[in-house]
Amino acid sequence: MSLDLRVVEISLSAAGAFAGRFFADAGADVMLVEPPAGHALRHEGPFRDDRFDIETSAAHLHMNAGKRSLVADIAADASDIARLIATSDVLVTDARASVLDPLGLSWPALSAANPALLMTRVSPFGDTGPYRAYDATNIISMALGGQLKITGDSGRAPLCNFGAQAQYQAGIAAFAGTLANLLLRDATGEGEYLDLSVQDVVANNLEGRSLTFNLGVMAERAGLNVSAVYGVYPCADGWVFISAFAPALWEQLKIAARIPELDDQRFSTQAGRLDNNDELEAIIMSWTLSSTSDELRVLAQQGYPLTVSETPERLLASEQWRSRGVARTVAHPHAGDIALLAPAWVGGDAAPVRPAPLLGEHTAAILGPLSRAVR
Amino acid sequence: MDWRRDRLPLRGLRVIDWSVYWAGPYLSLMLHDLGAEVIKIESPSSWDPMRTVIDVNRGVRGTARPMTPQERSNVNQHFNEWNRGKRSLAVELREPRGRHILLDLVANADVFIENHRPHVKDKLHIAWGDLRPLRPSLVYVSLSGYGQTLPDRNAMALGSPVEVASGLFSLNGYLNEPTPAKTGFSYGDPVGALTALSATLLAIREARRTGEGRYLDVALRDALAFGIGAAFIDWSMNQRERPRRGNRHEVYAPQGVYRALGEDEWVAISVRDDADWRAFGEALGSPAWHSGAAFATAEGRRSGHDEIDAQIEAWTSTRCARDIEIALQEAGVPAAAVLNYRQLRRDPQLNARGMFQEIPHPAFGLEVRSASLFERGNFPQPIDRHAPMFGQHNDDVLAGLPGMDDASIAALRRDGIIGEEILATGD
Repeated sequence: MSLDLRVVEISLSAAGAFAGRFFADAGADVMLVEPPAGHALRHEGPFRDDRFDIETSAAHLHMNAGKRSLVADIAADASDIARLIATSDVLVTDARASVLDPLGLSWPALSAANPALLMTRVSPFGDTGPYRAYDATNIISMALGGQLKITGDSGRAPLCNFGAQAQYQAGIAAFAGTLANLLLRDATGEGEYLDLSVQDVVANNLEGRSLTFNLGVMAERAGLNVSAVYGVYPCADGWVFISAFAPALWEQLKIAARIPELDDQRFSTQAGRLDNNDELEAIIMSWTLSSTSDELRVLAQQGYPLTVSETPERLLASEQWRSRGVARTVAHPHAGDIALLAPAWVGGDAAPVRPAPLLGEHTAAILGPLSRAVR
Repeated sequence: MDWRRDRLPLRGLRVIDWSVYWAGPYLSLMLHDLGAEVIKIESPSSWDPMRTVIDVNRGVRGTARPMTPQERSNVNQHFNEWNRGKRSLAVELREPRGRHILLDLVANADVFIENHRPHVKDKLHIAWGDLRPLRPSLVYVSLSGYGQTLPDRNAMALGSPVEVASGLFSLNGYLNEPTPAKTGFSYGDPVGALTALSATLLAIREARRTGEGRYLDVALRDALAFGIGAAFIDWSMNQRERPRRGNRHEVYAPQGVYRALGEDEWVAISVRDDADWRAFGEALGSPAWHSGAAFATAEGRRSGHDEIDAQIEAWTSTRCARDIEIALQEAGVPAAAVLNYRQLRRDPQLNARGMFQEIPHPAFGLEVRSASLFERGNFPQPIDRHAPMFGQHNDDVLAGLPGMDDASIAALRRDGIIGEEILATGD
């Protein structure tokens, strides 16, 4: 499924960086335009041995893998980049129009120079509407997209999920939306512009919003445990999620746990399990605490209604991931051998992606042919 | 994109969607929004459980009478949100005649979607190997929790458990606390659906160029893990677990969620750099605690984050979240009210971009639906169809198949091969 495309990426955050990463894994030549100080993700970390080094920031190594890097101070002079875009297929950016337009990188200007250009902008709030001049980081997009309020413990502050989740969701949507426009261009030969908003994507991915809008039911922060038969328990060396909320699943849990206390008449009905929730929770916890993650995982693999909490360490060593080719070991000149994940659609048959580029590694290779062409 | 319907990217594409709950139906919803025709396949004996399982609408409105499962099956607001615009065919796939109908549909389809437990498609003989000979260009999408491969293929795969198995749960949580935290919803589903959408579009393009379809084995866990891939690199470089970060950020300081005026009202603030910090101070009226040299650098603000948080919250807790948002955004500092769903419905930005539209549904009445994600910019696309009633398009869909006429459709209905009511008993 290889894309024979030249993609220019001007990204200020994980939203554009994720979109570009997907293009790289799909086989496109992704040219990352970096400011002289390096892409924002180079400054984020965590770093190798916790020593600041713009070449070993894990966020950069993940999201910029497979791209080529060129350094250009577009705030001072964007003419090289405009020429580069004129000979490319795709421009993907997360910078607001108010940032790029004054530099000569507006959709009308770029499209006039390259009528087949596909331009996708995935900015915090999109090009239209009253917030179009607002700025946002990931947590702001989570707040205004509705995913922040529903996460965390009841009575405590809402919790922003680990990672740049709003921007991740938006990055996938930007990649998918551009692919859709590519199908249009295949048919018409004409370029297209896509205006995506991170806030829109986050709100679009909300599970229960329709219940509020149409039935008045509000989503609340529920923390870890909904009830004794649906929630997270500690185990001997980690955590396990028990999801035996339906009668058939409860019977399965009893088979898996093999502890006689669960056969108690009080727990034989859904209502009984709810009425005796705390006692049931204590019994289940005594079982989970005496079980290891490895023991519980065997039960999970047999289809019993429980799920072991996995860590990056365990997943990288897991048989499932080895067989699926999810993670590859890639050598990077500064970071050493690193574990690089592939997008979930890549599968075992794809070529391994190159590691992230060094800052400006490909500036001459990318801009050289352009300046020769101009002369 | 110029979102006139006759120019949509997937116009003319036909999707057979045999998926349930959220991830698969969300994928086919987005394919519909991009122009594809989607036929949703259910069976009278085995419908999409989303129609009935999450029951928040028990009573018939205006009466005290509980709804029958048949009545519930057409008004569930989860189901109706994620199945808008599709056509419904309710056919018994376990019956040879029913399965044959599915095969006839697949022979003229471009995409087939399923997200049942991995063995179900084998048992019904509608796996990739069964369908491919009928349509070599078919893109067959399987969405699952962990993939079609052993040892994990049979593990339970609802959205929340998958998140626990992805590594996200183990890293998530409040600042420096030992206990992890879940996202507040079935987060694996939308991330898996968007990921599968990308893969499907890539495969459609390949099929158009080569005539060859493809099998796509998309695991929700793998899609969740990719979003936190930096943590996997961190582990491989440093082999150490890190304290939970809560609402803080590696670079931006301060960043947090602060109490605002009102019950369970909060505001998120993110100070990216020194310039933001100065603008933030001016917006607060340059208080003394802000102006000291100790907090002039990001390093200093990280060291004093707890103290800064206390000062910020003393200021925010007497003000409306929206007022704080506006004041700080006008100063150029990223800030936002933390919206609940009711506030989201009224959000001026989402509304200006045409997210919400009201359309009539024959069993429910007026419903608020969300418009296509991909055309909120300049050309809001009107929502043309509500989610289908169970089996609503049986006749329309069957009439297009070879050898099918009114009499044969009537016979299928008489023999229970097709139907317009779920075969639920009890409540």
